[in-house]
Amino acid sequence: MSAHALCWHCGEPLPPGADATQAIVAGVAHAVCCAGCRAAAEWIDRLGLADYYRLRSVASPRPDDPDRASRAAEAWRRPALARYAVRALPGGKQEALLLVDGIRCSACAWLIERTLGAVAGVASVRVNAAAQRARIVWDPSRTDLPALLHAIARTGYSALPLDAAALDDARQRESRAALKRLVVAGFGAMQAMMYASALYLGGLDRIDPATRDLMRWFGLLVATPVVFYSARPFFGGAWRALRARTLSMDVPVAAAIALIYAASLIDAVRGAGEVYFDSVSMFVFFLLVGRYLEMRARHRAAHLADAMARLTPAFAERYRLDGSLERIGALELEPGDRVHVAEGMRAPADGMLESASCRVDEALLSGESAPVRKETGETLVAGSIVVEGPAIVRVTQVGADTIAAGIAADVARAQTERPRLARAGEREAAGFVARVLTLSALCAIGWSLVDPSRAFAATLAVLVVSCPCAFALAVPAAITRALSLLAQRGVFVVHADAIENIARATHVVVDKTGTLTDPGDVVVHADDTALALAGALARGSRHPVAQAVARLSCAVPMKIATDVRTTNGGGIEGRIDGRDLRLGQRRFALGDVSACDDDGAVVLAEAGRVIATFHPAERVREHAHQALAALAADGLDIEMLSGDAASRVSAIAARLGIARWRARQSPGDKLDRLRELRAGGARVIAIGDGINDAPVLAGADVAIALASGAELAQATGDVILDADRLQALGDMRAIARETLRVLRQNQRWALAYNLVAVPIAALGFVPPWLAAIGMSASSLIVVLNALRIRAPFGASPPAHAAATRLRTCP
Amino acid sequence: MSILIVMIPLSILLLVGAGIAFFWAVEHDQFDDLETPRLLPLLDADPSKADAESKPGEDDAR
Repeated sequence: MSAHALCWHCGEPLPPGADATQAIVAGVAHAVCCAGCRAAAEWIDRLGLADYYRLRSVASPRPDDPDRASRAAEAWRRPALARYAVRALPGGKQEALLLVDGIRCSACAWLIERTLGAVAGVASVRVNAAAQRARIVWDPSRTDLPALLHAIARTGYSALPLDAAALDDARQRESRAALKRLVVAGFGAMQAMMYASALYLGGLDRIDPATRDLMRWFGLLVATPVVFYSARPFFGGAWRALRARTLSMDVPVAAAIALIYAASLIDAVRGAGEVYFDSVSMFVFFLLVGRYLEMRARHRAAHLADAMARLTPAFAERYRLDGSLERIGALELEPGDRVHVAEGMRAPADGMLESASCRVDEALLSGESAPVRKETGETLVAGSIVVEGPAIVRVTQVGADTIAAGIAADVARAQTERPRLARAGEREAAGFVARVLTLSALCAIGWSLVDPSRAFAATLAVLVVSCPCAFALAVPAAITRALSLLAQRGVFVVHADAIENIARATHVVVDKTGTLTDPGDVVVHADDTALALAGALARGSRHPVAQAVARLSCAVPMKIATDVRTTNGGGIEGRIDGRDLRLGQRRFALGDVSACDDDGAVVLAEAGRVIATFHPAERVREHAHQALAALAADGLDIEMLSGDAASRVSAIAARLGIARWRARQSPGDKLDRLRELRAGGARVIAIGDGINDAPVLAGADVAIALASGAELAQATGDVILDADRLQALGDMRAIARETLRVLRQNQRWALAYNLVAVPIAALGFVPPWLAAIGMSASSLIVVLNALRIRAPFGASPPAHAAATRLRTCP
Repeated sequence: MSILIVMIPLSILLLVGAGIAFFWAVEHDQFDDLETPRLLPLLDADPSKADAESKPGEDDAR
């Protein structure tokens, strides 16, 4: 059994000497790292769901502290919160939508469905692993929301009820409507084509007039829903554009559809001339295919961003009159309340700082990446993160009145915006539209002077053959393909602009700890008391080394630290049992600027005296070398910036083959270095762990945040990369470059096609049905060309392949 | 050719039927998540039975 080193449940390294913690699953004892994992594993076993461990392809999320999780669940019993999250269904049932953190593979979805299904009173559970959402319907007389949240928490996932209004998800409605329109158009196009081929062949074969008329009427019958139902978005778009006195791509499209349909209708009624019901249906169908692909890509990004844009927390810790804390829903806060915001947490409402000065990250508000120092009496904005705290805030504004709520609305708007490349493509297409409309008008006038009987057909041919959809599809088709390829590899692109920037980047700046290396075990020179003290300080910090220390201290009795303050790039200080202690780099811990701290050790000190030393033993992440080599081979300059000691940084740099590195860099130094590089004309990709490095990442052209598990949802960056899949970095660059290449190719093709086809059509050599085929073929070529984008040979296997390979052994 | 007068309306009826079935499926969440369900059958062994067979004392179920 190879489970010595790793926790059976969450896959994290076991703390040394923790043999005592074991979980009995299916009658076999397995080593786990902490009590939380043991509780989760045994609970899963008790439910008879131990098969989960056989089925899962990724380790489970590390469970929250069970007490904290159940307190959080209980809070949803409050009526004010329940009203927000629960919707009553006809028939006395209730429904809620949960955002479940930590769903990583289908086995997770399976486990959650089974777990909730086992709760008495649950009528139905549906888990969407892609969107990390679970929709639950239950009988309120037999169970309630806190019980359900509790059941999820016990399996180790954390669930957050979403706004009941989100149950009628706008995106879901949009995607359903689009799918229906697409299928109606597809059916219609197929049928219309069939009747039309009878007409075309009949034209050669002398069809009898009665059959011919019949075919025309059937054509009309199937084309009518296509035009009036499927094509409605085009008419709507054209109308909006015209009312706003602009030209969108919808304008000529709508004009062409309306013209073809009206002319064919007249011809069908009077039983003479030509009908083009097949052309119009096919036209609509192909346009809708393009739109549908684009919408899918947009929604995928938005789903991801949803999980990340949790701007304000759901809960607040409010001070009671006697000074004790109570946990309530952020919605229940009222102006005048005093709340406690722990370090690393977001402020639940706008308010005035009452405690001593603290530093907050207001990046969501100002875009300013560096944390800002706030003095007593200054305003704290809801959603800003207390970087160094904790803070006590007197609430001034809540809910929809907060500045963050306004920003959330802006974010929602930005999500529907298209990437810069697509916008440029659209502008190009709009100019093209204007030229096409002019040309069609000229063509109509010209032909009516020369041969009025052919004027209509030729004008129609110009309108249809020159359809700008090849232009319009050129960008979204390529980007959609790239996004899905990348997502399969565990690379989630949040801002589609990132693809362009990655392809054009010249420099890569990487962080060391938590990015290229994993602070695994900590070698400790301390007794249990010192370890407990260090653990109490470390528990509040998110730095990887501090977390390793905190994990280590799980084994000894717990202590509580008060007045905890963090100095970025230094360490943590706090008061335990009346002793002022510092944990961090030697220089910080001893308060001695001249102290030599090149050994990279973390020190616990009291009043300048060392109590204990911790030597973090770093492991270079799997694939880190491979990923960096791939980037370097692609001509990127790689530079490592680390806050760590020089000796350790140089050792890691040598192992990974990084020529340039800087040690002892504060976040400010890193940011300066980024500015310097960019001022020199470089385009910089910054890679960091997304939480501790967020400010630095924000200063780069492309920010790639590494995260794993639950942190995926909190990381901020243009691109979020699963931390266990570093090797995808090389693929990412290759795919981005390939995308840009195909995209340019597509645009050139669309231009060339139009330059050739439009003059021929204007001269009257192209019958409208051929024009429709030409247009469709040109769009199809664009889409097929986009599908050529592939990962380079020998690249890492896509994540879903790994997911289908059922793991048999942890 | 007069058989067409029967066959074509029949095909259109079938088409409408298929369309209605599809609309029903869309409205009943069949197309909302196309990623998860394809893997679920692989996983959906009845766990209670599998468990009963590998109770304590027997070999590791893996």
